[in-house]
Amino acid sequence: MKELFVLVGFAEIVLVIFMQWQYYLKKIIVTFAISSLLIGLLLFVQGGLQNNTSLIVLAALTLLVRFFFIPYYMLSHLEKVYKEKNPKQVVSTGTSIVVSLLLVILAYVIYRLTLYRYISVEAGSIPIAIILQGIFLVISRNNAFVQLIGYMIMENSLFFMAGYMFPDLPFIVEAGILLDLLGLVMISGVVMKLREDSVSEVVDEFDEFRG
Amino acid sequence: MFVYYLPFIVLVFASLLCVFKSDSLAAFVSVLSSLIVSVLSVIILLKPNVSASYLFIDGFSKIMVVLISFIYLTTVLFSLTYLKHVEKPLLKRNFYFLYLNLFVLSMLFSVVVKNLGLIWVGIEATTITSALLVAIDNDEPAIESAWRYIIIVSVGLVMSLVGVVFVYGACHTLDITKIALLKSANYKLLLLGSVFAITGFATKAGIFPLHTWLPDVHGRAIAPISAIFSSILLPVALFGVYRVLSSVEMSSLHLYAIVLGFLSVVFASIFLVNQKFYKRMFAYSSIENMGMILIGLALLNKYAFLGAVVLLVSHAFAKSSAFYSTGNVLNIYKTREVAKVKGMVERLPFTAYSLVFSGLAVTGAPPFGTFLGELLIAYGVYIKFGLFWVLVLATFLVIAFMSVNYKVARMAFSSSNFDRAEKVRMSAFVPLLNVTVSFVIIFLVGVIEKILMTGMIK
Repeated sequence: MKELFVLVGFAEIVLVIFMQWQYYLKKIIVTFAISSLLIGLLLFVQGGLQNNTSLIVLAALTLLVRFFFIPYYMLSHLEKVYKEKNPKQVVSTGTSIVVSLLLVILAYVIYRLTLYRYISVEAGSIPIAIILQGIFLVISRNNAFVQLIGYMIMENSLFFMAGYMFPDLPFIVEAGILLDLLGLVMISGVVMKLREDSVSEVVDEFDEFRG
Repeated sequence: MFVYYLPFIVLVFASLLCVFKSDSLAAFVSVLSSLIVSVLSVIILLKPNVSASYLFIDGFSKIMVVLISFIYLTTVLFSLTYLKHVEKPLLKRNFYFLYLNLFVLSMLFSVVVKNLGLIWVGIEATTITSALLVAIDNDEPAIESAWRYIIIVSVGLVMSLVGVVFVYGACHTLDITKIALLKSANYKLLLLGSVFAITGFATKAGIFPLHTWLPDVHGRAIAPISAIFSSILLPVALFGVYRVLSSVEMSSLHLYAIVLGFLSVVFASIFLVNQKFYKRMFAYSSIENMGMILIGLALLNKYAFLGAVVLLVSHAFAKSSAFYSTGNVLNIYKTREVAKVKGMVERLPFTAYSLVFSGLAVTGAPPFGTFLGELLIAYGVYIKFGLFWVLVLATFLVIAFMSVNYKVARMAFSSSNFDRAEKVRMSAFVPLLNVTVSFVIIFLVGVIEKILMTGMIK
């Protein structure tokens, strides 16, 4: 199981770095769907091996919500022009990839120096690296869709971490988190649509938002 | 036991009725629902504490339930007249009330559940149910502030989710009553998890350093939404922080929370000095008050704890009054700039006095409840850290007091040539009512203490 965890974790990191250099929103959303698929499958395998029914249900919910519904909902809300739009980047592609790699190293160092002493899971730095990359994706893009995906990557990594390290986390909590995510994406979809329709490219010029 | 679930049933039923495309039905149902929930909250106040499988209602929970219910009531009443002034609302009225009811439902849920993970779910649900309410003005800044609210708060709350997962890893339970009694936990992991959980919940409470969404949202949302955000949403998030602090009694964790609270007071007070916009000014004042409340909750001292709750309750009524008043000001003056609002006393006498008194109340002036609350917290700081830190804290409180009240006085008492434009209606009455309640709180301190002492986690 540990090998599978490391393998999926590594794939997750690569997928996020892949998102960093993507220009097209559609590809970023599809990459997110693949990332969720991997986590859903990991939870499914783990649930099967441990004979843990709630983990299997959670895997099914993850696949339904994160792999299928959310990407579908986002793609259906994405107008054609935005599917082909280059999401505005605050940091250049090259720099963002270098930063992403540095974040992986940073996560490893932080984990080894602090958490490893208390958790003692060899590959525990992987979810932390993914969380940091998710934060970086939120910061490095001005596009609302990409920012939302950055947030969902962070949540994905938490599911990944909780599923592997603490598989007996109460199901009601995990299901609640999943439902919250679903609601958040739907509300965000509405706000993003309004935002794309009305807000100019750079929003920092609103005088009132200073100070 | 059934009575504890009744407010939820009423709110769900009211929300369902708001789906029908009838504005008057939605308004009527929401008024009725808020009245029933308020009455029920008082009944719950008189009932014994509860600790069931998913429910945990102690004295503090009860106070929060009452507070949420009454601010919900005044917000619905204020919205009845205020919504007429929103020129191109994002949502139809029935949907406005639908989201408002769901928002209140999620807040009530957050303060009565026993499981730390479910508290997180409830607080995150408040973001979902309130995001569109922030953008109701339907202009660029309102939509942008709604987006900032969603993304910053959600990212902050992911941090608290990391914390919740770590707490589970350390204790193998998320039941707040069990965590508090655990003798064999992985304490270092528990400490780390608690730090994350507090930082995340504090983001939602507008605590430094992840407070940046708060002035934008409070500054741009319509008045009733700014009011409900500032007066009960922020305290609900702080309640999450309190649940962590009361379950995990580690001095370093409490010190961390005190430092966050202290920095919030310092930062907000400094930013208050140069505020040009009155709604943003009250938003920064909320940061300052939440900072003080956090200090009181984290001090582990019964006077400071009582002070924090008194400040929380009194601030809720005062700040809602302040924001309702700013809505009336905006309707007449059509500007958010302090410098462009003159002669309120002649033009909007009821609102002017509401704003002046609520300005005094939110900055802790006597004889409002906030004064006693801050005094008790300062006493707690004195016991723990000595006179020097009390003086430092007091200096920043004085800066905040001067900044807010100077600007409010300038808006209210400067001369102008305008005629009176205010009629006696609900939107003028509600702010006066709330600021009066903020004053009355000082007589209820004994009752609050009694309610708090009837049941705690430990």
